[in-house]
Parts: sequence; structure tokens; C-alpha cells
Amino acid sequence: MTVVMWGGADQKTHVKAAVQPWADANDVTIKQDSPSDYAKFRAQVESGKVSWDVVEVEPNFAHTACDNGWAEKLDLDQIDVSRLKDEMVTDCAIPVLEYAFTIGYNTDVFPDSHPTTWAEFFDVKKFPGKRGFWKYATGAMFEAALLADGVAPEDLYPLDIDRAFKKLDTIKDHIVFYETGEQQQQLVASGEAPLIQAWNGRVYSAAQEGQPVANEWGEHLLSYDQLVIPKGSENADTVQEWAAWFVESPEAQAGYSNATAYSPVTEEALELIDDEVLPFLPSAPENAAKRATIIDYSYWAENYDEVSERLNEWAAK
Amino acid sequence: MTEARPQATPSPGPEAESSGPGRAGRLWQALVPDRWGWLMLPLLVFLLLVFVAPLAMILARSFTDPAPGLQNYRDFFGSAVYADVLVNTFRISGTVTLLTLLLGFPYAYLMTLASPFWRGVMLLAVLVPFWTSLLVRTFAWVLMLNNTGVVNDFLLSVGLIDEPLTLIRNQTGVIVGMVQVMLPYAVLPMYATMRGVDRRLVQAAEGLGARPIFAFWRIYAPLTAPGVVAASLLVFISSIGFYVTPALLGGPQDVMIGELIVQQISAVLRWGFASALAVILLVVTGVLLLLVSRFVNIGKLLGGGER
Amino acid sequence: MTTRFLCRAGLVAVAVLTAIYLVAPVFVVVPTSFNDSSFLEFPPKDLSLRWYESFFTDPAWVNSALNSLQIGVWVTLLSVVLGTAAALAMVRGRYPLRAAVGALLVAPILVPYVILGLAVYALFLELGLTQTILGFVLVHTALAVPFVVINVGSALVSFDERLELAAMNLGASRLTTFLRVTLPNILPSMGAGALFAFITSFDEVVTSIFLAGPDVSTLPVQMWSGVRVQIDPTVAAVSTMLLLITVALFAVAGLVRALGARRAQKALVAAENA
Repeated sequence: MTVVMWGGADQKTHVKAAVQPWADANDVTIKQDSPSDYAKFRAQVESGKVSWDVVEVEPNFAHTACDNGWAEKLDLDQIDVSRLKDEMVTDCAIPVLEYAFTIGYNTDVFPDSHPTTWAEFFDVKKFPGKRGFWKYATGAMFEAALLADGVAPEDLYPLDIDRAFKKLDTIKDHIVFYETGEQQQQLVASGEAPLIQAWNGRVYSAAQEGQPVANEWGEHLLSYDQLVIPKGSENADTVQEWAAWFVESPEAQAGYSNATAYSPVTEEALELIDDEVLPFLPSAPENAAKRATIIDYSYWAENYDEVSERLNEWAAK
Repeated sequence: MTEARPQATPSPGPEAESSGPGRAGRLWQALVPDRWGWLMLPLLVFLLLVFVAPLAMILARSFTDPAPGLQNYRDFFGSAVYADVLVNTFRISGTVTLLTLLLGFPYAYLMTLASPFWRGVMLLAVLVPFWTSLLVRTFAWVLMLNNTGVVNDFLLSVGLIDEPLTLIRNQTGVIVGMVQVMLPYAVLPMYATMRGVDRRLVQAAEGLGARPIFAFWRIYAPLTAPGVVAASLLVFISSIGFYVTPALLGGPQDVMIGELIVQQISAVLRWGFASALAVILLVVTGVLLLLVSRFVNIGKLLGGGER
Repeated sequence: MTTRFLCRAGLVAVAVLTAIYLVAPVFVVVPTSFNDSSFLEFPPKDLSLRWYESFFTDPAWVNSALNSLQIGVWVTLLSVVLGTAAALAMVRGRYPLRAAVGALLVAPILVPYVILGLAVYALFLELGLTQTILGFVLVHTALAVPFVVINVGSALVSFDERLELAAMNLGASRLTTFLRVTLPNILPSMGAGALFAFITSFDEVVTSIFLAGPDVSTLPVQMWSGVRVQIDPTVAAVSTMLLLITVALFAVAGLVRALGARRAQKALVAAENA
């Protein structure tokens, strides 16, 4: 069974905790590949020579893959989906981890008070300095802009992109875009962009390394990655068995979360999280209470192309 | 073997002018390679199999994916953004080429003058960047050029500036990063050519009373021209496809076509449109090189000129 | 004389600045590789060798480095042979469709690698060439060969063919002339082309990511695989080691040359004394 994730140390930790124990018990050989690459995914499916068996992807791709028949339908009767959040399960995909788009800030620049809402994040008078956003449309900047502009979380979708751009226009000169997790950490830790719309785990690990950064959980946007099986995978049944085990095994989920501060996908696993890590998890009760909403990827699957194009256009102006 | 000699010598003018062969003979000559010409065959076959065949299959998708027709091309011309990206790509590539030549030519020239030891040191400086993975190197620039990086710290501490300069996430960053990557590709071909130039020709000209600068420009420069042309061609064409450096060191205004195509292939999965972008890029670059070849003699290098 | 001196001084100044510019990133990369943090940081805070340890203890890193070397050597050989032959044909030969062939020869560096990567991946999946050394060698050679053609081509254009005539008039055979007169003249350019070819292969990531997999991977793929999340500082350690090897090779080459020169001088002196 070939497991494909984003790579690096993260993947090693993840596979070791979430796949290897099951593989050892069931005598399955695990191969790892990385990074998840949607072009390779599609090319394999189209050629019928599929070497990947389970792939960690962003939910908007999972939707697209499912709609285009690039992903195997899951047998959801086999998997105890009642333990998972409804929004995160589709015909072809189950969640593998949860993460949050938080307000990451530099604690040296803002020792006393820092933005706690997206409205404050957009207030460049009260909190001067550059703001970092992920350069992709699914990076939650539109959601943040609309929340900052006073849209109620439950009315976010479908997104009013025009209104979001209008709000983004007000801070355009203060925006810097980042491409990778490394850049994100570097931007906020160096103080170049003391405020950043961050992935909670990146800020967490930077803080662990002694960098002057922290997460603000107010109005955070919950997101997740999903697992899909490429259409034509010879080991689809094996993956299915593993997936069922994964959802029912709190230990398998907790191991990764303890190392990265990304949330496990079930409540049961939360109890196995170390006390010192728990406060940094999106699903920790005190953090979960501050959540604005879960990002609606069915919206993004439909509108990603168009909004991307508009974002490119807007950013280049 | 002397009887074979004429074929090895450069022919004085276009073959067509030679009076010998008749019409059929001329056609034969145009279609059938001569003794040297056959040497092209292995590479040609190799590229047809490994490069042209797969590429043709994917580029065909620009007319078929998602639906048969010219929609992908209409999309390109339907929005100013894409044309801007293309223009931007050529502008950045042109600037990078110019700067690498400006820095690389004197560098290569000095290498031919230096003692073996210093030549070795200079060569080492050119080779060092090669061994530092592009990824690390680009990130090293991020660390050096950002607002709190060493460059700004230095300029601030000596009092040259009062506020940190914005050196990355804009065109400055892209150009600083790309020129550093491309410099070795400019220096080495120029140095290789300069080594072969007989410097006594310049001395002779000077001995005959030419002013040094005049002698340099009229005698030395033309002799090194093939190296300069090769260097510019390599740098310019390589720059066009750049993706990593502009993505990490540039801002949203500095998107180059390579990055756009990656986005279309890997993120948005519009393969037909990505292929259309590639086709347009190939065509425009081809036209551009054709125009340039009217002014600069790259014809011989690209095999465009008749022989 | 003063103008000449000023010119020379200006030349040296430009060259020194250019050299500093070329090596500047190294001064960041090398210290970073000894940093005891999982982030690339400059200047480093605490020193450690953990990223070197991480390289040597992880078979994935070591194997991919060996694969990269192996692929790079094959690519260099193949592209120098194919490329030099093609350059000879281009500059001296006659063949049909010159303009089209010329365009084809530079096209591999012009076509965005991701397009070629995807195209080749689709084909190689069918042929079973993904995750094979051969597959990498084929694709990288296609990308590398233009560098050889352009370098050697420019050398041939500036090469004075009358030298060959002279050699042949003196009775040298065609082959001898090529080996003793032509080849030495284009050798520096072949060297530059070979180096570019090797580096093109050794640092190529975009097409390689398509071809790589759990069975066969290369160094750049290993470096890039986790980049979306975080750069693994092992990358800096690898770069530092490659640098050290380069510098060492240079020192050895310089030493050999210096010793050779001294021996030659001794021989000369001895010959004169005799």
C-alpha cells in the first residue's frame, strides 16, 4: 500500500503513528511517496497505471476528483463516520487531520495587545505593519475579509467575492503573500509581517523553537485535509480497511497531533493529547469555542478556478 | 585523404551558386545531409522520441481539453492578465540577460588575464553556486534580503539608509535571485571563447598605433562574439521558464509564465489551458528569436543560415 | 598607461563584486547547516551536527544522493556525445530543415519543465519507465543537451578551420586532425557544456518529481518533497558537503598542476644542463 502525503518530517511522524501500527499488525507493506501532486494523481488515473493507493489532499481537490471520477467511492458503511464531522466526509473522502487558519502574530511587536478578530486584523491604524496571506484562493483570505467586513459566519457561503475584494482593497498595500510554510514562519518571526493568517501548526512549531510568535484563536477558520483513493488503485480494499481502523483508533490520530498541534479528526482522540499540547489544538474546547466556521470546500470546488483567476488579476494590479 | 578535403572546408557561398549540379542534383543536395550533416541524426532521433512525441501529445490537449475547439486560446486573449504575464516574463528575462552580460563579460575577460591561481579562484567562485541547490539558494536570498536581513542591517548600520529597503517580494528580488543563478551560464561560454582568442592580435593592432579601447572593440570584441551570443541565448531562454525564484522572491506583480503554467497544471488542473499557454510561449519566443536573428548572428548557432 | 591601469582596476573591482555576489548565498547556507533548529535561520543560534546526522542516518537521503550522481554521470556522457556530434553537424554540415532543427535544439530549455514533466510522465507510465534510472537519464538528457550544443557550437563557429587545413596539408589524417587539432580547441567548451549538463540533471526537480517514487528518487526530489510544509535543513547540510567536495577537488587539481609545472621545469633545467 503506497501512502502519499505532503512530505518532510511531518509525513514521517504521521505514517509512523497512523499507518505503521496497523500495517505491522496486518502484515501489509507500506511504501511512502511525497508530495501529493494533483497532476500526477490525474495522470495516473487517466493512464490506468495507478501506483498511489491513498493520497492526502485538500478538500477542494477531493471534491473535484470525486466529481470527475478520478477517485474511488468509499464504502462508508465500513467506516464509522458518526465519529467524524459531517462537513468533512464525502462519497470519496474522509478527513485525516484538522487545522486552523488563525491570526498568527509576533509577540515582540505586539507584546500587550494584538488583533483578536479579523476586523482588527484588517485595522492597519490600530495594529500597524504588514499582513501575510497564503497566495492561493483557498487560503481563507476571502473568508477573513468578509468576517472583517461584518458578515455573520453563518452567512459566509456562498462568498460575496466582490465585497471581499473591496475589503481587501483597504489594506492592499499592507499585504504580502507567502507560498510555503517556511516563508510563513519566517515572515512572522522576523517581524517583516508581524501579523499573518497562519496555519496553527506552523506557528506552534515556530514557537516551540523559541521564535517570538503565537496564535490568536479568535474567529479562526477551521480547515482539514482529506484522504482519497485514486480510481484504479489495486489496493483500494486494503486502504478501505485501514481507513476504518484509523477512524476507530484514537491512538493512531493522537500521535500525529501530539507532534504537530494539528487536530485529530475524532473527539475520542482528543483525550489522548498531552496536556501541554492540547491548548494549541483547534479542537481544544476553549479554542473550538472561538471558531468562526468550517471552510466550505464544496463552494471552493465549484469556484476555485474563477476566484483564482480574479485573485491573480487583483494581485497583479 | 586529401581528396575529401573540399567537403571539410567552409564553402565560400550558398551551395546554390555553385554551377555544377542540375536541378535534381540541387534538390538532392538540399534534402540529403552531407558527411557532417549526418552527425545530427542521433540527437534528432533522440529528441523526437523523448521530447517531441510526448510534448506533442500534451500540447494537442490545448485544442481538445476540456472541449474540442479554440476555447483555451480565447481564454488567453480574453483577459489582459495573461498577456501581461507574458510581457512581464520577457521583460524580466531580457533584463536578467543584460545584467548577466554586463557582469559576466568583464569577469570572463579578467579570467583570461589572471594568473593560474587567481583564475582558479575566479572559476571556483563561478562554480560554487552550482552546488548549492536552487531551493536553498533562493531561501538564502530571502534570509539576506528581507527587512530584517543582513543586507538591510548592514545598510542601516553604516547609515546609508534610514528605513529598510524592500528588496524581496518585488522585481528587485526576482532579478537579484535570477542573475545570480544565471551568471555561471554566461561566464563559462564567454570564458571558453575568450580563451581561444589570440590576444596577440590586439597587441598587434595596438603596436600598429590603434588606441587600446579601439583595438579592444574592433578586434577583440568581434572575436568573442560567438561566446557572447551563446551566453545571451542560454540565459535568455533559461530565464523564460523560471519558476522557483520568481515564486519565492517576487511579488504578485512579478508572476512569470512558468509559475502560471505550474498553477494551471498542478493546482487548477486546467491542462488544456496550460498547454495553450505553452504553445503561445513557444510561438512568441520563436518569433522573437527570429526578429533578433536579423540583428545578431545567432543564425549560425541555431542552424538558421544556409550553408 | 594610466587609462590602462584605471581600466584594469575597474575590471578587478567589477569582478570582485561579482564574485562576492556569486558566493554570497553560501555564507548563509553553510552556517545554517550547523544550526540546531528545524528552521532555516540566519545567523544560527545554537550549533549542532544534527542535519549531517540526519543525512547519513536516513537511507532515503543517501540513496537519492547516489541516484542523482549516477544519473548525472550518464546524462553528462550522453549529452556530450549527442550534443557535440550535433554541434559539428550544425556548424559544418548540410542537412534539410535547418531552421526547424535549430529551433528544436533549444526548445527543451524553453518549454516550461512542468509541461514536459507531465507529458513525459503520461508516456513513461505506459512504458514502465517511471521510477527507473533510465527514465531520469532520458528526460534529463533532453533537457541538458542544448547546453552542450550551444557551447560547442559557439566554439566551432569561432574556431579557425584553416588550422585543420594546415594540419591535413602537412599529412595528418582526417581523424588525427580532428583529435589533435579540432578537439583540443573545442575542449573547454565541451567542458562547460558537460558541467552544465551535469548540473541540469543534478539540480532538476520539476520533471524529476513526476518520475520519482518510493523506489527511485533523486536528491532534489528529496529536498523538495516536504517544501510545502517546511524546508528540511538537511538540504543545507547536503549543499555544504557538495561545496566542500568541489573546493577539495579544485585544491587537488591546482596542486597537481603546480607539481606538474615544477616537474616540467626541473626536466627542462636538466635537459638544458645535459
